Amino acid sequence: MTYHLGYGTNGFANHRLDDALAVIADLGYTAVALTLDHHHLDPFADNVARHTARLAARLAELDLRVVVETGARYLLNPHRKHHPTLVSEDQDVRVDFLIRATRIAADLGADCVSFWSGAGDSWDLLRSGVTKVLDRSHDVVLGLEPEPGMLVERLADALRLRTELGDPDRLRITLDVGHCVAVEPQDAATCLRQAGDLLVNVQLDDMLPGVHEHLEFGEGRLDLADALGALTDIGYSGVAAVELPRHGHAAPEVARRSLDALRAARWLAHAERTVREDPGSVQRFFSAAGRETGFGADDARIRLVVACAEASPDVAEGLTALYRRGSSAERRAVLHALTEVGGKAPDAGLVLVKDALRTNETGLVTAALGAFAGKHLDQHSWRHGVLKCLFMGVPLDAVAGLEQRTDAELLRMVAAFADERGAAGRPVPHDALTLLGKAS
Amino acid sequence: MRIFDPHIHMTSRTTDDYESMYAAGVLALVEPAFWLGQPRTSVESFLDYFDGLIGWERFRAAQYGIAHHCAIALNPKEANDPRCVEVIDELPRYLVKDGVVAVGEIGYDSMTPEEDDAFARQLELAVIHELPVLVHTPHRDKQAGTVRTLHVVRECGVPPERVLVDHLNEMTVHAVADSGCWMGFSIYPDTKMDESRMVRLIQEFGTERMLVNSAADWGRSDPLKTYKTGLMMLDAGFSESDVDRLLWRNPVEFYGQSGRLMLDPEPGTAVDAVTGNSVLRGER
Repeated sequence: MTYHLGYGTNGFANHRLDDALAVIADLGYTAVALTLDHHHLDPFADNVARHTARLAARLAELDLRVVVETGARYLLNPHRKHHPTLVSEDQDVRVDFLIRATRIAADLGADCVSFWSGAGDSWDLLRSGVTKVLDRSHDVVLGLEPEPGMLVERLADALRLRTELGDPDRLRITLDVGHCVAVEPQDAATCLRQAGDLLVNVQLDDMLPGVHEHLEFGEGRLDLADALGALTDIGYSGVAAVELPRHGHAAPEVARRSLDALRAARWLAHAERTVREDPGSVQRFFSAAGRETGFGADDARIRLVVACAEASPDVAEGLTALYRRGSSAERRAVLHALTEVGGKAPDAGLVLVKDALRTNETGLVTAALGAFAGKHLDQHSWRHGVLKCLFMGVPLDAVAGLEQRTDAELLRMVAAFADERGAAGRPVPHDALTLLGKAS
Repeated sequence: MRIFDPHIHMTSRTTDDYESMYAAGVLALVEPAFWLGQPRTSVESFLDYFDGLIGWERFRAAQYGIAHHCAIALNPKEANDPRCVEVIDELPRYLVKDGVVAVGEIGYDSMTPEEDDAFARQLELAVIHELPVLVHTPHRDKQAGTVRTLHVVRECGVPPERVLVDHLNEMTVHAVADSGCWMGFSIYPDTKMDESRMVRLIQEFGTERMLVNSAADWGRSDPLKTYKTGLMMLDAGFSESDVDRLLWRNPVEFYGQSGRLMLDPEPGTAVDAVTGNSVLRGER
């Protein structure tokens, strides 16, 4: 049983709820994170039970699994965002809302109700508020979500609260992997593993360290494949839903792109895991990586080479086979991966680098002159590699260790090349002039 | 006009061809593996050729803004040489690769038992790898060869919509139209089909399941025949949408069944043209 990829309805704030669910299901998501809000199943409406029943039928029809989120901005107070919270003096408004949410969740058959602490400093208020919610609600699991800037900001805070309350079975953890990037001392995959069995809801988005801004995948520093791999490792079978509340203006397109990224990352996580268990399987994944993860993504292939080299008893043979049997894109990935794993098989790595330097493919030549060549390639071959870059118009910033390894002989060769170009009335590459100290 | 040439042997063509093709609107192509004029004598010779199709030739095409794909197979002519047949055992490792969008060209040359065997084995590979198939019909005894081809295809387990039967003409098109397979036409300067006969066939059969290619190779052939067919269609009163369907949407639909089309040229190959892209300049 694997986890269910979903999308948060707070990312569809400009859609009717029914329309949002249809778009999300049509794209291929199998779950939804439902943020209760004034226009999306208002928990304070008179006929909420009827609406809830209708929504439950709709979710069943679309085969969408659901979690309930309670982070609406102005549901409880039209003036102050997110207020009141569990750590406000008037916490009972929030407690009442959360209890309503648990009733709705029960009627929807939701996995859990997710909530956060609120910003403040009263740990006592938080304890009393969470206790009230636990005492006055039944059967529905609560997921406490660490939120940057709030009293429970990190996973460790949430775990501490749970311990202090006596490890109540119904109090569990919601993790936002973007938040992990922003504020946790360890990476998202490690946080997910640490939460382990307590994990009841996962929110997916990218983020930059120190910046609480929800970003699309690839725009921040999240290692999405690692995070999804961790979900598989801990046997998580709940909802993992994209959380992009500020992308509602382009929601369908963002949701489509996000699912593409998620599928690619899930494929990569599976491929890496399989290759680590059975290095012999690498060829199959390696050849398909382009179509599975988006064309032009050399990164996936590089990771597979690294995984293979780390698990393989014979690194030299493994690298050589991948390169020799590879398309240009595959060969490029092997060459790039030498930076990380070439040290395990330097002789074989050098053979491949020299093979690539004999080709006339700019991509191969560029990849060949990375850090591995910078460290291991003999000076004569290295100089010819640099000169070949100038010939082919490859920018010299592709050459690792250029400054340290440039010597008089290379400068003589480059000067002769520049003279030859000049004599022919043709432009001399800017990088050549820079190397010769003649750039204007 | 945007053009996808579904069958052209760029290995045998010059950079001038790439330039004029791009100028005419060719943005993507499929290069099926075939024989090279000079017979091969070993499996290794095939492997170097296949490596070129997934390596150097794709890079070369990308230099001119053209997305290059290929089909991989042992061709029917060389299926008769026992020194070459073992290459079939090497095909699976190519058939899993990105950019390999079909098994081909396979089919008959002289309709020998050896060709039967290679044809059947490679159709099986297409089933295993869930790839479309490009089938070459013989130049000699074409009508009998086409009938026999369709019989083999019917029995092999590849659904007809994933089979392109190529090099058709007025005599062989009906049987293929009835079979549910895609119909391929190679437009040549003086053999196979020409543009005006092609336009007449399109008037009769429409554009559905029809593919037009230049099949340009090392013989007398013209890589712009797709374009010229499109022009003649416009002259004959077909709409731009008809031309687009025949020359772009149809090949995209057919080879798209592989799930491996990359309609942007291979990335990672960009160079600074000002400072000297030597493929363009004939250096390096």
